[in-house]
Amino acid sequence: MLYIHDTTCISPQQTLGDIDIKHLKSADGNKMMALEPSYQNIPTPVLRRMGKAVRMSVGAAMPLLQHFKPDGLIIGTANGGMEDCIKFLNQIIVYEEGMLTPGNFVQSTPNAIASQISLLSANTAYNITHVHRGLAFENAILDAIMLLKEYPDRGFLVGGVDEISSYNYNIDNLEGWYKKETVNNTSLYLTGSPGTIAGEGAAMFLVKATSAGAIARLRGIAMLHTTDENQVLAGLEAFSNKYLLPGERIDLLLSGENGDSRHLKFYEICEGFLGSKTAVGRFKHMSGEYPTASAFAVWLACTIIQKKSAPAQILKSPPTASAITNILIYNNFKGNQHSFILLSC
Amino acid sequence: METAVLKQQVKKQIIEFLNLISVTPEDIRDDEPLFGGGLGLDSIDSIELVVLLGREYGIVIQDPKEGRKILVDVNTMVSYIEKNRTK
Repeated sequence: MLYIHDTTCISPQQTLGDIDIKHLKSADGNKMMALEPSYQNIPTPVLRRMGKAVRMSVGAAMPLLQHFKPDGLIIGTANGGMEDCIKFLNQIIVYEEGMLTPGNFVQSTPNAIASQISLLSANTAYNITHVHRGLAFENAILDAIMLLKEYPDRGFLVGGVDEISSYNYNIDNLEGWYKKETVNNTSLYLTGSPGTIAGEGAAMFLVKATSAGAIARLRGIAMLHTTDENQVLAGLEAFSNKYLLPGERIDLLLSGENGDSRHLKFYEICEGFLGSKTAVGRFKHMSGEYPTASAFAVWLACTIIQKKSAPAQILKSPPTASAITNILIYNNFKGNQHSFILLSC
Repeated sequence: METAVLKQQVKKQIIEFLNLISVTPEDIRDDEPLFGGGLGLDSIDSIELVVLLGREYGIVIQDPKEGRKILVDVNTMVSYIEKNRTK
């Protein structure tokens, strides 16, 4: 069992500081860029070298570390600082393997995120980065769950982060993962066409095995790789049997539906299984699609649990229960990496 | 190229290479120490500046002692560039 005690998020929405999830920020051009703060808690000489993924992560993590020193930093990121990585690789070609500067390289590896957080918070404890593409954040959570089973008196920082880089956007675009037509996030689910819109963000969580003072309880997590919606259904059935008590039901399904007509079948089969008593909410119009978007979903679920209600702008079907107690997040990345995360108050 | 124009160009390149957020060429005095001064540069920046000289002016600095004398301020950089540039 894992309890979330505090959380922060930098995303394309107003999710850091003065949080506003009721009003959706609109984004054109198939890219939802994060609203970055001024990063006053990062020294300027350090900040100027940071790529966006590192910057967002440190910016989200530092407020959580002001009053708590975790026993480990566990980050999930599919691509890390891809933009800086490509700058460095391009330098190798342009300057024929000579005249290379170290700045872009040291900031570009995925583990630069956890290491920068470590350096700035003077934390020399367990430090690890999970890079399992669309399940990177889920594996970071799994790591924390296992550590807390072994060391129940400890606490950890867990995070999920990815940035939009021109490189990965162009490659994914050529592969058909983004919409050919220009779409605004406010009409993402109405398009009926293949592809989605890109997003980015960093969500951080302080987690412990103890419940006192916790925001939410993460009761279960499961991952599977498949392109068959019936296997997803079987996975959800097994997950529900394992983690829900007899007679207990999900109040809100936070669905990773992303406007890609090819993947709608996965979300619809989960909605069908949970039935009409379970409200359905969607979050990709807030975050855009990226490999660790499930971290945004967990942040959103925590916020809903704290506020005891879901904002109308996320709801596909309204809640029937007076209070939202159990939230199931179902997400999939590129139609083959699926995860279920169950959170309760 | 006139020295004053070259100094302005070098200042712009320093800002670009080192990604000096919210610094303008006018903020950098010709005799302001690059290291230990208001710019807050460190050892990684010195490598970036050596690369800048190589890429932009064809100057290869191989002796670290020589580098210390060149990368004192904009005046010393520009003076060295004027005498040693190959492009």
